[in-house]
Amino acid sequence: MNRRDFFKIVATTGATAAAGGCQQATEQILPLVVPNEQLVPGVASWFATVCRECPAGCGVLARNRDGRVVKLEGNPDHPVNGGSLCARGQAALQGLYHPDRFVGPQRREGDAFTPLGWEDALKLVSDRLAAVRSKPRTLAVVSQLETGSLGALLDRWLQALGGRPRLTLEPFGYEAIRAANRATFGRDAVPYHAFEDAEVILSFGADFLETWISNGQAARGFARAHTFRDGKAGTFIHVEPRQSLTASNADEWVRNAPGTETAVALAVLKLMLEGGGTGDKRYADAVAAIEPRKVAEDSGVPLETLQRIARAFGSARPGLAVGGGVAVTGSHATSLQIAVNLLNVAAGNVGKTVRFGPDHAYGRVTPYAEVAKLVQAMAAGEIEVLVLGPGVNPAFTLPGGLKAGEAIAKVPFVVSFANLPDETTALAHLVLPDTHWLESWGDYSPHEGVLGLMQPTMKPVRDARPLGDVLLAAGRAALGTEEGKGPLPWSTFEQYLRSVWEPLVKGQWEAALQQGGLWRDAGAAAVTPKIERVDAAAAKLEGAGDGLALLPYPSLRFYDGRSATRAWLQEVPDPVTQVAWDAWVELNTETAARLGIQRGDVVRVTSPHGAIELPAYPSASIHPAAVAIPIGHHYAPYHVRLKYVPGSGTANPMALLPAAADATSGAPAFLSVKVTLARTGARRPLAVLQATHDQDHREIAQHVELARAREEALRGAAREDARPSMYSEQHYKTYRWGMTVDVDACIGCQACAVACQAENNVPVVGKAEAAYGRQVHWLRVERWADGDPGQPHNTFLPMFCQHCEVAPCEPVCPVFAAYRTEEGLNGQVYNRCVGTRYCGNNCPYHVRRFNWWNYEIPAPLDVQLNPDVTVRQLGVMEKCTMCIQRIVAGKDHARDEKRAVRDGDILTACQQTCPTKAITFGNLKDEGSAVSKQRHSPRAYHVLDELGTRPGVTYLRKVVRAAPASRPGKGHA
Amino acid sequence: MTDEPRPRPIAGGAPAGGAVPEPTFADVNRDVLATLGPPGNLYFAWMCVVGLILACGILAWTYQIYFGMGAAGKRTPQMWAMYITTFVFWIGIGHAGTLISAVLYLFRARWRTSIYRAAEAMTIFAVLTAGLFPLIHAGRMWFAYFLLPYPNQRYLWPNFKSPLVWDVFAISTYLSISTVFFIVGLVPDVAALRDASTGWRRRVFAMLSLGWEGSDRQWRHYRRAYGLFAALATPLVLSVHSVVSWDFAMALVPGWHSTLFAPFFVDGAIFSGFAMVLVLVLPMRHFFGLHAYIRDRHLDAMAKLILVTGLVLTYFYACEAFTSWYSGDHFEKASLFWRLTGSYWWALGTMYFCNCVSPLILFWKPARTSPVILYVVSILVLIGMWFERFNIIVPSLAHDFYPATWGIYVPTITDSTIIIGSFAWFFLLFLGFIKLMPSLSIVEVKETLSAPVKDLRHAGHH
Repeated sequence: MNRRDFFKIVATTGATAAAGGCQQATEQILPLVVPNEQLVPGVASWFATVCRECPAGCGVLARNRDGRVVKLEGNPDHPVNGGSLCARGQAALQGLYHPDRFVGPQRREGDAFTPLGWEDALKLVSDRLAAVRSKPRTLAVVSQLETGSLGALLDRWLQALGGRPRLTLEPFGYEAIRAANRATFGRDAVPYHAFEDAEVILSFGADFLETWISNGQAARGFARAHTFRDGKAGTFIHVEPRQSLTASNADEWVRNAPGTETAVALAVLKLMLEGGGTGDKRYADAVAAIEPRKVAEDSGVPLETLQRIARAFGSARPGLAVGGGVAVTGSHATSLQIAVNLLNVAAGNVGKTVRFGPDHAYGRVTPYAEVAKLVQAMAAGEIEVLVLGPGVNPAFTLPGGLKAGEAIAKVPFVVSFANLPDETTALAHLVLPDTHWLESWGDYSPHEGVLGLMQPTMKPVRDARPLGDVLLAAGRAALGTEEGKGPLPWSTFEQYLRSVWEPLVKGQWEAALQQGGLWRDAGAAAVTPKIERVDAAAAKLEGAGDGLALLPYPSLRFYDGRSATRAWLQEVPDPVTQVAWDAWVELNTETAARLGIQRGDVVRVTSPHGAIELPAYPSASIHPAAVAIPIGHHYAPYHVRLKYVPGSGTANPMALLPAAADATSGAPAFLSVKVTLARTGARRPLAVLQATHDQDHREIAQHVELARAREEALRGAAREDARPSMYSEQHYKTYRWGMTVDVDACIGCQACAVACQAENNVPVVGKAEAAYGRQVHWLRVERWADGDPGQPHNTFLPMFCQHCEVAPCEPVCPVFAAYRTEEGLNGQVYNRCVGTRYCGNNCPYHVRRFNWWNYEIPAPLDVQLNPDVTVRQLGVMEKCTMCIQRIVAGKDHARDEKRAVRDGDILTACQQTCPTKAITFGNLKDEGSAVSKQRHSPRAYHVLDELGTRPGVTYLRKVVRAAPASRPGKGHA
Repeated sequence: MTDEPRPRPIAGGAPAGGAVPEPTFADVNRDVLATLGPPGNLYFAWMCVVGLILACGILAWTYQIYFGMGAAGKRTPQMWAMYITTFVFWIGIGHAGTLISAVLYLFRARWRTSIYRAAEAMTIFAVLTAGLFPLIHAGRMWFAYFLLPYPNQRYLWPNFKSPLVWDVFAISTYLSISTVFFIVGLVPDVAALRDASTGWRRRVFAMLSLGWEGSDRQWRHYRRAYGLFAALATPLVLSVHSVVSWDFAMALVPGWHSTLFAPFFVDGAIFSGFAMVLVLVLPMRHFFGLHAYIRDRHLDAMAKLILVTGLVLTYFYACEAFTSWYSGDHFEKASLFWRLTGSYWWALGTMYFCNCVSPLILFWKPARTSPVILYVVSILVLIGMWFERFNIIVPSLAHDFYPATWGIYVPTITDSTIIIGSFAWFFLLFLGFIKLMPSLSIVEVKETLSAPVKDLRHAGHH
């Protein structure tokens, strides 16, 4: 039985157990006094469900121990994420167990909430609903993207009650892609981008490794296309004014002037056509007006670079051009997407790497223009009852110019189903907390052919009821119908869900639950491109002439803000800037010098629509004419208890944006204002968790040129770690555990860091402590930058305990708390540790973490603690254990089958969640194991090898494309 | 107690120009015993100040034990900072005492007699102060006994590879040998005290004097024992601070990993120890009027030792910098360069000024006997030597192998208060000592005097 079968079997038993007992809203965190016979104490059950932290809809397996979910992992069978899970998905547990979660229905009186019973709350709602039935179109429902049964039920409910059509509010709707596809292909859809099949990926601001459409899926595909394997590696060129995480991973990051993406794309197309390509005259006409030399001048991208891009993209079989990340979505967004379409069409990529059918669920997001209309209707007093589903926070996520908060405040009755307080619940009259998605039934289809099925993975942590159940009951009461009759006959949402799924599963309900849904081949749709001239105009920017273009971009960690309440995500730093906790305004060092701004100075950013105050983060890489602010930073009351005190006012750059939608696509124009910066005189030092990105010639992050890597791979030149020693070798009986990290594959997404935190009970320490080098992360992802600081070559390096064979930490420990195990691990006995911290000084990698305080884990977050891992006490040292608890479980499992541990029996938490499969764990004694093979790869190296520590963790050099002359910094001989 | 005015010391306070007359045996007894007379208001004022500071230190330590090491300003990468700095500082202070009492005894340097008792007491108190720091420093000080090799049913044993375990043995040995040596040296003096006191004091001193009667046999045994302990203590002067230096030298950290450290630390220890002896002895001489015993030539000798050890230390600094540079090792060079130019340059500058420049004034002969100059130089040397340890620990860790975790240590109120409290603890012990025990050795001072000649003083009176 392999691991997947194991999951399936336990998921079945678990699912049956859950199906039995999840209807009643008995709220007990340790639920079972008389144990359910299927629940074995100490043995985990795994439940398959769908992650609802963003619209990507990744499959999730929830690990349930003794009635409590303690860890999430990607569902290996799921077509979208194939077992990986991003940082936000990993941190969903902190939403489930959030200390600020509402307990039962809450009625707002003044600024404070008072609890009330469910019956009273339901009566309040149904009375209101009954009252507005006579006034059509005064009832509005706003939900997040719900492509499954809940959406259908909401629509049906609205129809029955005579409300307005449901609004799906997704702040990042990628409407320009749909608009462009309507224009080019006559299809209103977001297609599937097959990154995995592309030889050359050319991106115009599409931050597909962060949030763009389906970042987990894109990262998996990108890794397959781009990671060096069998002597081959794809090329990735990224055009963006700011060095985003995606740009940091590009082989060539091209910095263009903000808003010039369309012109650059068209110039590339023109140069590509000039260099050969199709003889189709329509293309030549489409780009006839483009003068590459002029484009080069306007965009600041040298002509040679444009030519190089054109050559590379034109020769790729196939390539893939993508465009339009949020930060570059302005008035030119649709023309950019059309230009991207033309590039893909001209290069023959449509149908290969750009596939219509399966279309992405984003195609069903309500256009922003409709949302704006509803807000206007609210402001005009046309809405009597506003129902807000979970996951929507219009007062925070909509452009400030729209004044959505003021509009909502004018609605006489606002019901919110959010389970955590936010800017919008502060305006709601009634909060009926929905169950968290890990406690709920449901389904979600991220794209055609993938029907994800959700089931409760545990009983609700707090008094909460499923949105569907509440609406059914309230709707029936308002309509005066009974259960089983009328338009809303179902007693519960689960019943409705089953009735919808019955024709699909045909009795195989439990099989679908185990698998996490149904996957089918979606029919590919043939499309005929229409080739027309494209307007190459740059994005129109509103505001002072000498202002700086504002690039608001979705945070990799918080998406539009819905994940920001998770303290794990607040503390794991942004991978590029390495800033934790705070939001910041990134500006060019030249601009900063001109304005006398230093890192940490609070700067007032003023646009024609608003102003916010944020600490400054000068960087050499951002375009001098731009400033960038991450979207989504806001904080929960729990964060204040962690001694994080946010600055006054919002930190969200959405507050600076205009209300108007872009005329062609109907999308909000994110890149649409120029801002001015002014020092306020205040200081708010940022928590930057990496002291420097310059490795000072220490060869920590190493690289090798593609040609050389290819040659070495062919020759199979193995590098042995043959450092002579006076001492006898350590002998290992059966196992020597080791890891390899393919630095070429690592994209720096921080998923591993959060997974580690979730698995190993790593505490959150708060901003001040983290800024002072006291974060407890066992695993940190470092960004090392070589070369010109303005256009650095970046390498992301996950750093954790290296489990050295000759470990500097071990001999210095006076009490043997740090010791070497027989299986090659560097053990740490917490009970023995006295806290002299000598090991922490002597570890050259500084991966040992000290418990400076007793870290508070407020209830009910403590329920999430992994029962297999010790919670450490004040005054002891800790560090990565290579998930020793998983090693023990894996060995037990193998022993039960009377065999040795094989590859795949044990996956460490970081390895399991990695979307690019950069981390490999296994037995170094077994020459056939994947980890042994990688350890003997020609690309293998050890960090700070010259110290003779003989680490158990091997890194594989990053493979770089650039010629050596253009790449200063140290390559390894 | 009598109502008679206290007999004036023969010198009668500061020498009013001219030579201070040589004391007689009777003067010695009287003058030394006079230092044990009832303390004045000034003494109590000092005790109050010191006691208050100590109380603050204890409060701060209690806070730190209760809430965690986070109260001290340590962090990654400075897992060690001011506590270990001050620990090494106090261990170093102790060395001068042993050097004076044991090494100089064996070398028959007779000028030691008037200062060795105070120096020995200083050693013990310095080691007692230093001994607090491993406890203050440990994250779980309530388990510090894990470092001791005590038999237990779990068969747990300390790791003898760890320099911290070596420290435990080095320091406990040092403390026990020094204490025994101190007590043995006290026996004849305590007997003199016994003879001069009444009541309960007499009974206490009688016990401590171990039945000393001054017989020839007792003197012979005493001499043998004293010589033996001196011989035992002598290697400790070299070994203890060498072991302490290996806390650093055995580690990998650039700036620590050096074979130079043992002699470098020993020299620094003697240097700072003599400075501390002067800091203690000069006020003692002033307030007790002991100019006849602690004479200018004693000050001169100590000043010369400070000068010599200071010059040797300067040489070691040069060696340290040279070896870092000459090693060609990138990490060592970067560490050295950063210590010179990075955030802690001022600490390094303070150290160079105090340890290398300020003692140079002692080349000038009058400075070697001027109490004011000596006092200022001694204080500067103490500051410099504290910063030397600080510069080894904090900036080296701040800029070690791994650039991602480089960082700056910032002291907190808690750890600063504990450090200041440790000085209060030391001075409290010393202030107590000078009123409870003879701070000059009656026996040995007498040995250096010419044998008593009958009626010499009477003749002088005529």
